[in-house]
Amino acid sequence: MASSSMVVFRFPASFVTALADQRPRIYSYVEEAEVRRLGRPVLRPLVPVSFAVGDRFTAHLDGLVDTGADAVLAGDLLADRLGLDLSENEGETTHAVGGRVLTARYKTVRLRLHPYGDLDGAIHREWPAQVGFVAGWHDYGFVLLGSVGFLDRVTVTASRFAQAVAVEHRDAFDQRFDTGPV
Amino acid sequence: MRAVRTDYTGYEGKYVAVDARTRQVVLAYEDPRVLLREAEKLRGVIVHGRVPLPGELRHRIG
Repeated sequence: MASSSMVVFRFPASFVTALADQRPRIYSYVEEAEVRRLGRPVLRPLVPVSFAVGDRFTAHLDGLVDTGADAVLAGDLLADRLGLDLSENEGETTHAVGGRVLTARYKTVRLRLHPYGDLDGAIHREWPAQVGFVAGWHDYGFVLLGSVGFLDRVTVTASRFAQAVAVEHRDAFDQRFDTGPV
Repeated sequence: MRAVRTDYTGYEGKYVAVDARTRQVVLAYEDPRVLLREAEKLRGVIVHGRVPLPGELRHRIG
């Protein structure tokens, strides 16, 4: 019991969770031993994500953080796993890649970001995101995390020097650099 | 912090999933559909993608 000289603050659990969520999450870069450039290893900023629709969800997936990409793109096999009918989509765009033209068909799913090394299915953050599913695109990875749907939801700080990527709440950038309202 | 190193030697041309902490390969299939289905059943596993063949070029979407 609190004494008369103590002030006790009580917060709902959701508030505590929200506070905890402000902490940056750190993800190591991943060095791919089979890929080298000028004799040096290639390091990639990969973060673990998954997609969910209703009660269906994908496995955890390596998501490549790509600040030069405008969208979140994924292989259409993931849409199959989610039971999505891409013929009923929210729009289509085309992308020129390696001399090929690929079509992305968009559907909104729940994008989940998982903690590093997660072994128990924990979810760090989750939000609705419009994902462009690309037919037959799974030659390398399955997910590309671009601006709309990912970098507009979190602040990402990537450092090849530190060999790590930090993911924070999306207001972190403005708070750090005082960029003012958009 | 050091990057986590991966070694996909022996899995060239296959689709792989790795342990979330060690990045060691735990699943490898020639069919990506099978990999995605089997990986959903396991905890602590991340689907990586296809391991390129030696000298194979890879293209990304940007």
